[in-house]
Amino acid sequence: MAALSQRRKASIPYLLLAPGFAWLLVFFAIPLYYMARVSLEEGTIDTGFRFTWHFANYTDAVSTYSEQFLRSFEYAGLATLLALLIGYPLAYVIAFRGGKWRNAMLLAVILPFFVTYLIRTLSWQTILDDDGLVVNFLQTIGILGEDGRLLATTSAVVAGITYNFLPFMILPLYASLERIDPRLLEAGNDLYGKRRHVFTRVTLPLSMPGVVAGVLLTFIPAAGDFVNAQLLGTPRQFMIGNVIQSRFNVIADYPTAAALSFMLMAAILVLVSIYIRRAGTEELV
Amino acid sequence: MSAIAWLAACGGDSGIEGGTKKQSKVIPKGKISDTLYFSNWPLYIDVDDKTKRRGTLDKFKKQYGTTVKYVEEINDNDEFFGKVRQQYAQGNSGGRDLHVVTDWMSARMIRLGYVQKLDKAQMPNVEKNLLDTLRHPDYDRNRDYGIPWQGIQAGIIYRRDKVKRTPKSVNDIFDPAYKGKTTMLTEMPDTVGLVMLGMGKDPETGSVDDMLAAIDKIDKASKSGQVRRFTGNEYTKDITKGDSWLIYGWSGDAVQLEADNPNIKFIQPEEGWMYSNDIMQVPVGAPHAFTAEKMIDFVYRPEIQAPIAAYVNYVTPVKGVKELIEKDDPELANSQLIFPDAETLKRAKIFKTLTPGDERKVKSAFQKAIGA
Repeated sequence: MAALSQRRKASIPYLLLAPGFAWLLVFFAIPLYYMARVSLEEGTIDTGFRFTWHFANYTDAVSTYSEQFLRSFEYAGLATLLALLIGYPLAYVIAFRGGKWRNAMLLAVILPFFVTYLIRTLSWQTILDDDGLVVNFLQTIGILGEDGRLLATTSAVVAGITYNFLPFMILPLYASLERIDPRLLEAGNDLYGKRRHVFTRVTLPLSMPGVVAGVLLTFIPAAGDFVNAQLLGTPRQFMIGNVIQSRFNVIADYPTAAALSFMLMAAILVLVSIYIRRAGTEELV
Repeated sequence: MSAIAWLAACGGDSGIEGGTKKQSKVIPKGKISDTLYFSNWPLYIDVDDKTKRRGTLDKFKKQYGTTVKYVEEINDNDEFFGKVRQQYAQGNSGGRDLHVVTDWMSARMIRLGYVQKLDKAQMPNVEKNLLDTLRHPDYDRNRDYGIPWQGIQAGIIYRRDKVKRTPKSVNDIFDPAYKGKTTMLTEMPDTVGLVMLGMGKDPETGSVDDMLAAIDKIDKASKSGQVRRFTGNEYTKDITKGDSWLIYGWSGDAVQLEADNPNIKFIQPEEGWMYSNDIMQVPVGAPHAFTAEKMIDFVYRPEIQAPIAAYVNYVTPVKGVKELIEKDDPELANSQLIFPDAETLKRAKIFKTLTPGDERKVKSAFQKAIGA
């Protein structure tokens, strides 16, 4: 009797894990398996697709689309850097100087999320219009030439990505900054630390988990994004997400699309693991 | 476990068997059904401004007692194909009785055996009123597998207040004065066809090499920044705002744009214009195929077609409609955008239907040129 209840107790953690595992299996492992399989198929919609270990899908995709691959990481990297530069001061102010406005400010950060992604990006088209306010202003102060434009340029795409993923940067930054014990900062000041040194020696290291989390949450979806390049850019700004979209949806070349998706995933995984190792964040995991 | 089995069934070798397999069995005579699932593009049938009801469908119900489930679910030929492909391949229409896709996609549907052969005996109005020019397309010699819904003209739309002189030629889009202020269509046959015309090639008979040469020209124009971007219907936004000045666009949109902004104008270029048709087809496994035939025939009655044509502003494929509209609205009846005369139709070009291999080659090259 006692042994049985012992065993039952031991199985409880596994039972509790079961829904999570089932979820992962059905929505992650199995789709991944089929994607891997499709990526090694050969054929066309007319002849049908057959699984033939066709590894050429990968090599062909790399040689044809290396430009868009590099561009994706370049834009995602730029956008992540910009989001960090914009997001850190903002999160800092909210966490340490927010006072009674803290919640209101946080709400303002999240508020755009109540509007769908697509609509937010489309409204940037209006903001960045050739005859719009922003372009007119920049032309007046001479930053943009007479014929200059913002829409359908690299700047517009990077700005769009930065804007759309900024909250993913701010929220984890805020969470880790807010947790910092103010007494540590006071101690730093009491020990005659200059404000700059208190920041670099105390605040910044303690907020590193937030920085790492924010960078990951911004970079990963940004690298696979295609909406911003589609709506704010031109073919010269298209990223790997646009290519996958077109191979899958327009050309009905499912194997190449699957191979590209896999390589995007692998590349992100490699970059992220190097980054985590460098940044060394035990607290994060 | 059953969920996993279901997922497994979705996977496999992508669920497509190969080969050409036209359906040769004609839709059998049956009973008129209570419902009909009609899949179409947005804003493509008459809607009453006040009651917001679709008059044509109400009339069909009055005549046959059938309630039409009219779903505006097609925004893009390729996207729609991706959506229905697995079901159609298994002989399941997903409940659809009628869908409307553009010429080249309807050719692909026929090739893959995704649509049923129509019984012409059940469609006397189609036999009588279909425009002669549309009776024998190269992909379906006798219109056995699909009947035109509306025709589309692709030509030039421009801003009168922005261009330096009135455009005449399809090549005006390459004028350096309009650098960054032009857009082209993502619809391959329209854009490639128009550029081919400018190069002195005929899109109806041209070779794959001619098409690839045109795509090369498009690629260069895109890389140099001459062409700002490639769009579907969303070009209406760019030209309204003045972000683009001279573009390749569609007549039906242009009628609407011209009405809203007198500075916007559509022309059929002197070298010719691209003419395509959206085709009504009955997918395999359609539960109410016989009633679907009745619907196709119904819209070929001139008095039923007239309100549709007047509302959607595309080129009607039905004879006798112009005469009906002339009585109420002579201006509309004279519009070359909706009722092109013989002279205008002479310059209309229908893009050649490609073999599967050529289609893939040309489409891949085109997609590459337009960025992906």
